[in-house]
Amino acid sequence: MEFGWSQEELRHRREIRDFLAEELPEDWEEISQHGPGGDSQAAFSKHFCARMAARGWLTQHWPEEFGGQAAPPWRHAIVGEEMWAIGEPRGAQYMNVNWIGPAIMHYGSEAQKAEHLPRISAGDVLWCQGFSEPEAGSDLAALRTQALRVADEYVINGSKIWTSYCNHADFMILLVRTDPESRRQRGISVLLVPMQTPGIEIREIPSVVGERYFHEVFFSDVHVPTQSLLGRENEGWDVVAYALQYERVGAARYARAALTLDRLAEIAGDRGLLSDPIVVDRLGEARALCEAARLLTYRVIDLRAKGSPPTADTQLARVLGTRADNAIGRLALDLLGPEALEYGSFADANFRMAMTAGVAVGATEVQLNLIASRFLGLPRD
Amino acid sequence: MDFDPSDEQRAVLEAVEALLEKHAGPARAIALAADGAYDEALDAAVRAAGFEGIAEEMGYLEALLLVEAFARRAGVVALAARVLVAPRIGQSDLPGPIALVRADHVGPIRFAAQARSLLILDGDCARRLDLGCEDCPAVVSNFGFPMGRVAPESLRAGRELPPGSAVRLRDAWRLGLAGESVGCMESCLSQTADYLKQRRQFGRAIGSFQAVQHRLAECAIEVEASRWLTREAAHLLDREDLPEAPDVSEAIAAAAAFALNAADRVFSETHQLSGAIGFTREHDLHVWSMRLHALRQELGGVGGHRRALVEERWGRLEA
Repeated sequence: MEFGWSQEELRHRREIRDFLAEELPEDWEEISQHGPGGDSQAAFSKHFCARMAARGWLTQHWPEEFGGQAAPPWRHAIVGEEMWAIGEPRGAQYMNVNWIGPAIMHYGSEAQKAEHLPRISAGDVLWCQGFSEPEAGSDLAALRTQALRVADEYVINGSKIWTSYCNHADFMILLVRTDPESRRQRGISVLLVPMQTPGIEIREIPSVVGERYFHEVFFSDVHVPTQSLLGRENEGWDVVAYALQYERVGAARYARAALTLDRLAEIAGDRGLLSDPIVVDRLGEARALCEAARLLTYRVIDLRAKGSPPTADTQLARVLGTRADNAIGRLALDLLGPEALEYGSFADANFRMAMTAGVAVGATEVQLNLIASRFLGLPRD
Repeated sequence: MDFDPSDEQRAVLEAVEALLEKHAGPARAIALAADGAYDEALDAAVRAAGFEGIAEEMGYLEALLLVEAFARRAGVVALAARVLVAPRIGQSDLPGPIALVRADHVGPIRFAAQARSLLILDGDCARRLDLGCEDCPAVVSNFGFPMGRVAPESLRAGRELPPGSAVRLRDAWRLGLAGESVGCMESCLSQTADYLKQRRQFGRAIGSFQAVQHRLAECAIEVEASRWLTREAAHLLDREDLPEAPDVSEAIAAAAAFALNAADRVFSETHQLSGAIGFTREHDLHVWSMRLHALRQELGGVGGHRRALVEERWGRLEA
């Protein structure tokens, strides 16, 4: 047991910071204020990821046969921390490298690997995920979108909801029901669908989170070749479980929260608020929370680095990361006062980014259910 | 980074568990508490096993793991002061047991009635004071530790320790508080989880109710986070001379701020979920839970740890 960074890891973090200082434009804060799904950030991500790819960093944690360098998970975690902290210049592409690519490596056909992996590791393709549906949110296994096999094609009908990034995406990793008689987890399959396919229609759902954050995606007789199937037909749930184990701590929310908190403390100092014991107490509470979330995430990376099967540590880290994000979002509002009410202000932007944390990628309540059963061993009924 | 114990650490932990299996546990803690007694036998076993010098021999992380394990098994000895604080201020030769106190302290002090040495933190200055058997009268306390009262003039007495000792004393003390709270919280949690699996009402185990599950799950998150924060902070004490090492005082303050805040939640939730039986001396929960509130009284409590954290991270605060 030891918690230090190696010289090599420290050097890599410095390297990444220098790279960010060089690559991010002066108006980065403006570009990134709508989050990874915003128009400007999506456009910037293609340029930025190509630059990262040129340095060999975008998919360095991938195996060598797929263009990676088999870098240890810790190295990739350092990249994730630095990227997310500064507002995620990889845009939606963090999903590609974290779990969509690995899912294709694990379950994909040779043709799928050849088509998708080089583009992902070159940093010039955007993906979105088609999981949630109007009647299948936390209860993902209730999904109804159908793909019926007709000759050598699937014909897709149904709709997906909340889909971030789909307005810019080239492909969607789509969950569908391929066996109309099936229920729950059985009978679900995963399709890799080009977003330009006729019959796909996108509608933005306006929200208080930000522009182009939520969408609904409609599928009306969308035809894709059967070669679009990822993994086996009707066994897509395994692919999802595999993918989500990577996704759940994919975004280093605590890193972003910690950086925001440093800024808040600086502002509080400038305004003489540090003589207020309540402000000091809340800053201390928030800092401890960010650190706690960091350590729980590190525990998950440690397990992954050792090739352990997934444990409830992932859920522990997820919930605490959410808490840290939310706490700093609220603190920003409370500290900065009425000026936070202006759209796009520092506090407003951070509050909006934080507010979805407990709902996105699996509601906190579902994580708590899993902790109760898997970590505490409490009975189901 | 490696969150699993090394072979060497594992061997120590096994030896510690064997010792605690023989000399500690809730039944013994309850028996000792009836007289406000100190566990002289366990203290002697610690010395005989050579654990007192573990920080110098292995490191502060290993010393912290020891503190955690002793708290988990409800050992009634002043271990943190011995294995974390004394070596940190170069006072490993202090006669034990050692009690820790701030010069402005009012009220009972853990282990003072049996202590042979008192370490006094007085602002930027630290002092050591030898105590005789009759110096500190015992105080009856419900909070899980033997307690004693120190005369106000003793808090101003003692031999001054070298400059810089105060910060080191404070950090090691704070780390010990976090480590002890982690051990106690872990046992509160496992006690309660066991109870929730067994206790049936409305025809089912009460641990199967989601309203109950989520509350204990939240506690589990806090305990695990406290554990890793505290262990990382202890490890930084072993690495503080390395270039680019994070600030150790800050890391310790963060660990204590988080863990001692979690302690309140774990106390409240585990007692609530354990029902009336949880308040009785027939049930073991109180052995650990009551201690949590004693730990929360030291070094300014959660507010003090948070304030220290803010000062360490963002600079000195205005008065």
